[in-house]
Amino acid sequence: MSTVNIDKILKRVQKPTRYSGGELNSVVKDPRDVDIRYAFVFPDTYEVGMSHLGMKILYHCLNLRPDTYCERVFAPWIDMEEEMRGANIPLFSIETRTPVREFDFVGVTLQYEMSYTNILNMLDLAGIPLLSRDRGEDAPFVNAGGPCAYNPEPLAEIFDFFTMGEGEEVIGELMDAYREWKAEGGKRIDYLKKIAKIEGIYVPCLYDVEYNKDGTLKSMTPNCPEAKPRIRKRIVENLDGIEYPDKFIVPFMDIVHDRASLEVFRGCVRGCRFCQAGMIYRPIREKSPDRLVKDAECLLASTGYEEISLSSLSTSDYTRFEELADRLLTLTEKEKVGLSLPSLRVDNFGLSLMERVQKVRKSGLTFAPEAGSQRMRDVINKNVSEEDLMRSVGLAFDGGWMTVKLYFMIGLPYETDEDIAGIARLAEKVVERYYASEKTNKRRAPSVNLSVAGFVPKPFTPFQWAGQDSMEALRRKQRLLKDEIKNRHVKYSYHQSDVSVLEGVFARGDRKLNQVLVRAFELGCKLDSWNECFSMDRWRQAFDDCGIDMDFYTRERSYDEIFPWDFVDIGVTKEFMMRENERAKAAVTTPHCRLKCSGCGAASLCADGRCSVYKEESSLRKIEELKNNG
Amino acid sequence: MDEERVLYDYYLIYEKTDNAKYISHLDFVRTYNRTMRRAGLPVAFSEGFNPHPLLSFALPLSVGYTSRCELLELKLTEELAEEEIRDRLNAVIPEGIRILSAHRGKSRMKKLRFARYIVTPERVPEDIGGFMALKETVIDKKTKSGVKDTDIRPDIREIRLLSNGRMEMILSAGSDRNLKPDVVVKAMNKYIPGYDSGDCEYHRSAIYDESMNEIN
Repeated sequence: MSTVNIDKILKRVQKPTRYSGGELNSVVKDPRDVDIRYAFVFPDTYEVGMSHLGMKILYHCLNLRPDTYCERVFAPWIDMEEEMRGANIPLFSIETRTPVREFDFVGVTLQYEMSYTNILNMLDLAGIPLLSRDRGEDAPFVNAGGPCAYNPEPLAEIFDFFTMGEGEEVIGELMDAYREWKAEGGKRIDYLKKIAKIEGIYVPCLYDVEYNKDGTLKSMTPNCPEAKPRIRKRIVENLDGIEYPDKFIVPFMDIVHDRASLEVFRGCVRGCRFCQAGMIYRPIREKSPDRLVKDAECLLASTGYEEISLSSLSTSDYTRFEELADRLLTLTEKEKVGLSLPSLRVDNFGLSLMERVQKVRKSGLTFAPEAGSQRMRDVINKNVSEEDLMRSVGLAFDGGWMTVKLYFMIGLPYETDEDIAGIARLAEKVVERYYASEKTNKRRAPSVNLSVAGFVPKPFTPFQWAGQDSMEALRRKQRLLKDEIKNRHVKYSYHQSDVSVLEGVFARGDRKLNQVLVRAFELGCKLDSWNECFSMDRWRQAFDDCGIDMDFYTRERSYDEIFPWDFVDIGVTKEFMMRENERAKAAVTTPHCRLKCSGCGAASLCADGRCSVYKEESSLRKIEELKNNG
Repeated sequence: MDEERVLYDYYLIYEKTDNAKYISHLDFVRTYNRTMRRAGLPVAFSEGFNPHPLLSFALPLSVGYTSRCELLELKLTEELAEEEIRDRLNAVIPEGIRILSAHRGKSRMKKLRFARYIVTPERVPEDIGGFMALKETVIDKKTKSGVKDTDIRPDIREIRLLSNGRMEMILSAGSDRNLKPDVVVKAMNKYIPGYDSGDCEYHRSAIYDESMNEIN
């Protein structure tokens, strides 16, 4: 057991509290008192990683175990990395400054594809071999989970194992298995075979992969009896029945989301066809208002945070939203803290609620129509009409808001130039809505900010078969949209098109991409989600050096193709996604789960085979309300 | 706006050591506000659109410096015992920060004129007589209007070599004139022939008024 000395180098780097530790509520244990040491790695900088709710949950769950000490690890910024490499300081944990290679587990959360090179850079900084097969008996078990783990294949040679689905329960099973394995005195491979039997665990080295001549996947076959042909994701059925952190670590520096987050529900009833989160987190499961208010009280008392935020894919879809908002507002008004309600839908957004939120603190308002024309919104199953949007921005403007942010995507399947021009028209109508109202202050001008992202087809969505626009096509559409915007109150920003393409390649990638990642790392790719670090030229060279064509991964795919991620069972079936893709082609919408069950398959993950929508007391009431609201 | 409001003035003397030395002043303000909330103290808020706790700091501390003489003023809406304020804050404050004492009333922070620092370099200069005798000590120094060549000599009141390999410096401090000891060390490296301080540690140990009476 050793620790690193970073006092000298901390004086020379920017934002030293990224590395110095000692934050309030960070867990302090004596490493000599535990059997298992777990390094939880977020493969990006401190301020990004510390904003991530999943890490807080698993950190809490692991540290509740007396036999385990979980510590945090983040990617050092460039200046710190230089200092570390210069002084031969290996990657270390925040809590005890222990070298990461001395841990029993190195668990990485995969939140976005553009963090993949950071993983390699961090393993390298830690002195841990990059590839699973090169790791010796003493090396930590390097494993991953999170949304990108649902297609693990581009990282299959790097990680020893993956966890599919929600971690609260399975992580304990993995720790128990580790203790047993230690007691049995087995080899490294014995542990991997042992956990391959646990539901939700995928051990890539236990599978052989064959390809067709055209490069597509031919088969993926278990090479030992322990490996299951299909890996079923884990879910926690009753969210009220599991742990939620009563304390969050309170960072010293300003991080991206620096507030008390409450997880209101998991899953989504909506079924937007581009949205991976809306599929992989199904079925919907809600926490009770009682539990959420209790979580909020605990967190405010233990952190001193000045803001509570609700976390879910679509906050206003919470069945008891009014009740929850009411009770939380009573709490926040008493404690003089703010309440932020992200992910409100355009179609069920109420004025009275907004006024109460505004009373405490007024934040910017963001809406996500996602597409500019009604036809395109029907294609993606957004189920939001122009009237919905106009009503919501109208309420916002009348309520005194001056700035509205609108999210859109371009490059969607079955999109035409008219759909893109529709984005500009819609934005102009929003500006007109401001001037049409009697309640708005005409001496001030509104600003309507468009944030436009390039669509990336993701595995486990109805658009997983879709072709992805090339960089040239995306750039043309960006220019087209720019030329269409004539109103000076409309501001337009867009994402880098090359990043979207690269994201798409890895999202729907296969095992062959492992070598490209390693090559990209060797060429210096890291911190790719930071504009100042990203270099498409280096990436192009990495693909060229490996003789791999990006277009193979962005192409349109046929229904009979076997996908590298088909062996993962997320509950939602491939048949359902095909049906949805066909409906998209015909621009036919699908009602959300509470209006009508579409038989997506996620209910099979529940113990009694029925998903919680059937059990929601208020679901019928909600349906009535929606009908009454038209 | 609210003329009925009765507020109670307090000030705190606190220390910042160990890892807490890496917390910047701005981050410290946020950390401190959250500590007040956790302690459940009846803090008075400003009455604007975005209410914020009413408090003021005597003299921001640079990142990397430790101190045992930090001073801040706050207002409460109820009167509490000084010890209770100190103890409730210390129970919920991050490691490395400790309230040494709480006092009822206004502090003398507006009288602040000098601060004493203890500097621990890797190497002390053999003699500082020549350095102290310089008529002008010009060094590039960060000022409100950017980095400028500045004569820092008028802001050095005293420098003493201590027997334990440290240096004591008494320098101008406050919003009007302020000199930080790392700038002095930089000047020593420039003006004392052959001198190389190496990395230094900086500690603020006292603040004074015009007549060198300690403010605490």
